[in-house]
Amino acid sequence: MSNFSQMFVEEELARVEKPEKREPLGLLFWLCVGWIGLNIIGAIFANFLPLIDPLYQNYNALNAGPSLHHLFGTDDLGRDIFSRVVYGSRISLSAGAGAMLIGFGFGAPLGMLAAYRRGRFDSILTNVMYVFLAFPAIIATIAILSFWTPRSLLKIIIVIGVASIPLVYRVIRTATLNVATKDYIIAAKVQGATDRRILLRELLPNIAPIGISFLLIGVATVIALEGSLAFLGLSVLPPTPSWGNMINESRTILQQNPWLAIFPSLAMCLFLLCLNFIGDRLRHHFDVTEVKL
Amino acid sequence: MNGAEPLLKIRDLKVSFGMGHHEVQAVAGVSFDIFEGETLGLVGESGCGKSTTGKALMRIVEPTSGTVELDGVDLCAQKGKALRNIRTRMQMIFQDPISSLNPRRRIKDIVAEPLDCWKSVTGSARDTVVSDLLVKVGIDPQVYGNRYARQFSGGQCQRISIARSLAMRPKLLICDEMVSALDVSVQAQILNLLEDLKKEYGLTLLFIAHDLAVVKNVSDRVAVMYLGKICEIGPSNTLYEVPGHPYTKFLLGAALEADPDSPVHGDVLTGEPPSPMNPPSGCRFRTRCPFATQKCADEEPLLSEVAPGHSVACHYPLNVKTPRKRAPRATA
Amino acid sequence: MSEFDPILLTVNDLATTFQTAGGPLPAVGGVSFDLKRNETIGVVGESGSGKTVLTRTIMGLQQRTNVTVTGSVLLDGHEMVGASEGDKRALWGSEVAMIFQDPMTSLNPVMRVGKQIDESLRVRLGMSKADAKARAIELLELVGIPSPAHRYDAYPGQLSGGMRQRVVIAIALACSPKLLLADEPTTGLDVTIQAQILNLLDDLKERLHMSVILVTHDLGVVATRTSRIIVMYAGRIVEIGSTREVFSAHRMPYTRALLESSPKVSNDPHTRLVTIPGRPPNLLKLTQGCSFAPRCSYATDRCHQERPELQPADEPGHAYACWNPLPKTRKRTVKTT
Repeated sequence: MSNFSQMFVEEELARVEKPEKREPLGLLFWLCVGWIGLNIIGAIFANFLPLIDPLYQNYNALNAGPSLHHLFGTDDLGRDIFSRVVYGSRISLSAGAGAMLIGFGFGAPLGMLAAYRRGRFDSILTNVMYVFLAFPAIIATIAILSFWTPRSLLKIIIVIGVASIPLVYRVIRTATLNVATKDYIIAAKVQGATDRRILLRELLPNIAPIGISFLLIGVATVIALEGSLAFLGLSVLPPTPSWGNMINESRTILQQNPWLAIFPSLAMCLFLLCLNFIGDRLRHHFDVTEVKL
Repeated sequence: MNGAEPLLKIRDLKVSFGMGHHEVQAVAGVSFDIFEGETLGLVGESGCGKSTTGKALMRIVEPTSGTVELDGVDLCAQKGKALRNIRTRMQMIFQDPISSLNPRRRIKDIVAEPLDCWKSVTGSARDTVVSDLLVKVGIDPQVYGNRYARQFSGGQCQRISIARSLAMRPKLLICDEMVSALDVSVQAQILNLLEDLKKEYGLTLLFIAHDLAVVKNVSDRVAVMYLGKICEIGPSNTLYEVPGHPYTKFLLGAALEADPDSPVHGDVLTGEPPSPMNPPSGCRFRTRCPFATQKCADEEPLLSEVAPGHSVACHYPLNVKTPRKRAPRATA
Repeated sequence: MSEFDPILLTVNDLATTFQTAGGPLPAVGGVSFDLKRNETIGVVGESGSGKTVLTRTIMGLQQRTNVTVTGSVLLDGHEMVGASEGDKRALWGSEVAMIFQDPMTSLNPVMRVGKQIDESLRVRLGMSKADAKARAIELLELVGIPSPAHRYDAYPGQLSGGMRQRVVIAIALACSPKLLLADEPTTGLDVTIQAQILNLLDDLKERLHMSVILVTHDLGVVATRTSRIIVMYAGRIVEIGSTREVFSAHRMPYTRALLESSPKVSNDPHTRLVTIPGRPPNLLKLTQGCSFAPRCSYATDRCHQERPELQPADEPGHAYACWNPLPKTRKRTVKTT
C-alpha cells in the first residue's frame, strides 16, 4: 500500500481514542474489598488472633454489654460475642465459597460446553437442568438437610452446592450463547483453532465478567441461606458459633441482650452488602461497550 | 485466467435447514467454478442463498449434499484435523465488522491468532509477520497494535479482519457482504484496499453482495442467484449490459444509477419472492416472470451456455448478442 | 398562510444540540431551506451528518430534557419548534407524517396491522370502528397489498419486509398529511422491492398532493426520485440545489467526493474508486472552520479558520458552502477516474 494511502489511514486512526481510560473502580469499591479481605483473614487466622476462646463461658459476665474487654459483649452463657462472630465467619464464608465451588465447578463448564456445542448434547442437558430448576430449591434443601443428620458444615456445602448447579448452568449457558453466535467465534473455527482453544481464549474472557459477578452474588446468597438454615436449626449446632445460629439463639433473650442479635446480623449484613457491591462494580467495570460506527 | 483447471469446483451443492415439513432448501443444487486469480461476484436478494453458499463452502454450515473440490480435494468429505488443515487455504470476511473481532483482545493478537493456532511461525518472525500485515491494511502496528479491538470503528475493524484472514496466505478469500455495513466513503477505501491486496497476495475472491454496483466494480465474473439456484453466470460487463435471464434484467433495472439522466428503470418486478419452503415447480422465477410459459412450469431450465463463458438457466433467454468490442480501458 | 402559498415548509436556522457527558453536541447546526407543495427533496449524507436528527427535529420529536432546539420550522403556518405536545399531536398524522427505516420496529409486533392503521383514523378523524376498518382496507389496497381484507388481520411478523413497509406507509398516510418525512425508507430492503416502494411513494405523492423529504445515503435513490437535493455534512447543509444541478454542476468538494466514491454499475470491474480520506468529524470537537476542511484536498487557510456560509451559485435555488468551490463549467455527468 502506498505511503500516501497509509498517511490517510493514520490520520483517520489518530482519532481513535488514546489507550482507553477505564472508569476507576472507586474508593467505596476498595473499602468493600478491604472489608471482605479483613473478614477472610479473620476467618482463616482466627486461631492466631488474640481472641478470647469462643467456647469459654465466663459466668462473671453474662449478657454483658460491649466493653473494652468484650468488644461486642457476651451472650447468655458468658461467651464473648466478638470472638464468636469472628469464628462464626468461618462457617459462613466456607459455606459460601464451598457451595459456589461445587456450583461453578460443575455448572459453569457444562453450561459453556452445552452452549458451544449445541445439538443433542445441549438439548438433553438443558432439559434435565430445567427439570431440576423447577424444583423449589429451598424446600428441597430444607427437606434433605432435615433428614440427613448429624448436622455438619460439609453437608450444607454439598447440598446447597449441588442445588445451585442448574442455576449456574443456566446463567453461564445464556452468557455463552450470546458470545458463541458472534462472528469472531466462527472466524476462529475457520482459522483452524481447536475447540479447546476457542473455549479458553475466545469464550472464557468474554464470559468471565458475568461469571465472576454472578459468583460473588452467589456467595452472598449462600451465606444468607446458611443463616436461614441455621435459624431453622439445620446448620451447625451450638456451641460451634455461626452467624446464623447466633441470631437464632438471640431470639429468646432479645429483650435482655440485644447485642447477641445485633452484632452477628451486622456482620452478615455488611459482608453481603460489600460482596454485592463488589460484584456490581466489577460487572460495570468490565462491561465492554462496543465501539460506535 | 480461464482455460486452466478451476481452483474451486462446486457441483450440485445443496444446503437444507430444518426437517420434515419445515425443511427449507436454502441452496438447491448450485454448480459453478472459481478460477485462480479471478474475482467471482455472487449477487441476489435476501433469501436467495448466496450467504449460505459462502458458508457452505467454508463448512460453517454443513452442506446436505454435493461436492466442493479445492485443488482436487473434496472439502465436503474431510473431517477433523484434515478439515482444519484445508480451511487455512480458504478464509472468510464477514458482514458485521464489529462482531468479527473479539472485543477483549488486542488487535495484534487477533491478527496473530491463525499463526498461533498452527504454530507455523513463532517468536520474532511471528511479530514481523503481524506488523507487516497491519501495515499492509493501513494500520500502524507500533501505535495501534496493542489497542483492543473494541476501540476501532467499523472500517478499521474490517481492515483488521482482512489482515487476520491473510495471515495464513490463503488462496481463496470469501467476502460475505463485507462492505454492506459501511458508509459510502469507508466502503470505497476498503474496496480499493481489497484490490491492492488481491494483486499483492495473488488472491482469488468470491465476493458475495446484494449491491450490484459494488459487485460490478470488483468482479470479473458474476453469478446471479434466485431462491437457491443460479440463474445466470457470466463476465461482468456482458452480464450487466446484456443480461440473459429476465431476473437479472429486472435486478439491473431496479439498481438505480446515481445519474439523474439515467432511465429510471425498466419495468418493475411485481410481487414478492415465493417462500423457499414451497418453491414453484420448474423454473423458480416463473411466478414473477412476464415471459413464463407452460414449459417453464413443467421443466426446470438448466444452466446452458449462450455465449462463451456466459450461461443462463432459462428456456427463453433474452437476446444475448456477443458483446460489443470495447476499447481496452486503463484500469488502476 | 393560504392554501395557495406554494411554500409548504420553511425551516429557518434550525439547530439541535444534545447535552452529553462530553459536552454539547450540535447534531444539527443552522439549517435553513424551503419546501414547496408537491415537491420531493432528498437529504443525503453519511452517518453522523445529522440527516436523521434533522427530520426528527422537523417532526418535533426531539424536544426532550437534554436536547435544545433553536430556530424555526414553519409547517403550513404552524410553528413546530417550541410547540406544546398537544399542538404537535394535532399536526401529526394530518399535516405531517414520518416513516422510518426499519419497518419491524415501527410496527407493534403484537398488534394486528389493521388495528394499527385504525388507531390513527379513529383517534385523529374520530371515525367509527366500522368506518375505520373500511378505510384501513382501502389504504392497504392503496399501498398495493394484495388481498387487503385478509391482510387486515395479519400480524407484522407474518408479512415480508416490503409488505411491512407498505403498512407503515399506509399508517402514515391514513389521514392524508401534506408532508411526508421518509427516513431511509428502503434501506435494507431488496433492490427489486425498493423499486416497488419508491414507485409507490411517487404514485401516492401525486395522488395525495404531498411533499416528501426523502432521507437516504443512497445516491441512486435521490438521483431519480427527487427534484431537489440537500447535501449534509457534520450537521450543516453544504450544498443545496436541483437534483440535476447538484449531480452535474456541484461546487462543494464534498459533494463531488461523495458522488465519486460511490461505485457505479457502469464502471468496469477493478475500477479504482476515489476515496475521501479520514472519517467524519467528531461533533463534540468541531473546529471554527469548515468541518470538511481536514479531509478536503482543496482546503486553504481560510477554510480552516472561517466557516463558510451558504452562497448562491448561478442557478437559482442552488447554493453551496465553500470558500474554494469547484469551477463552474464542468462535464455534464461525473465519471470516475
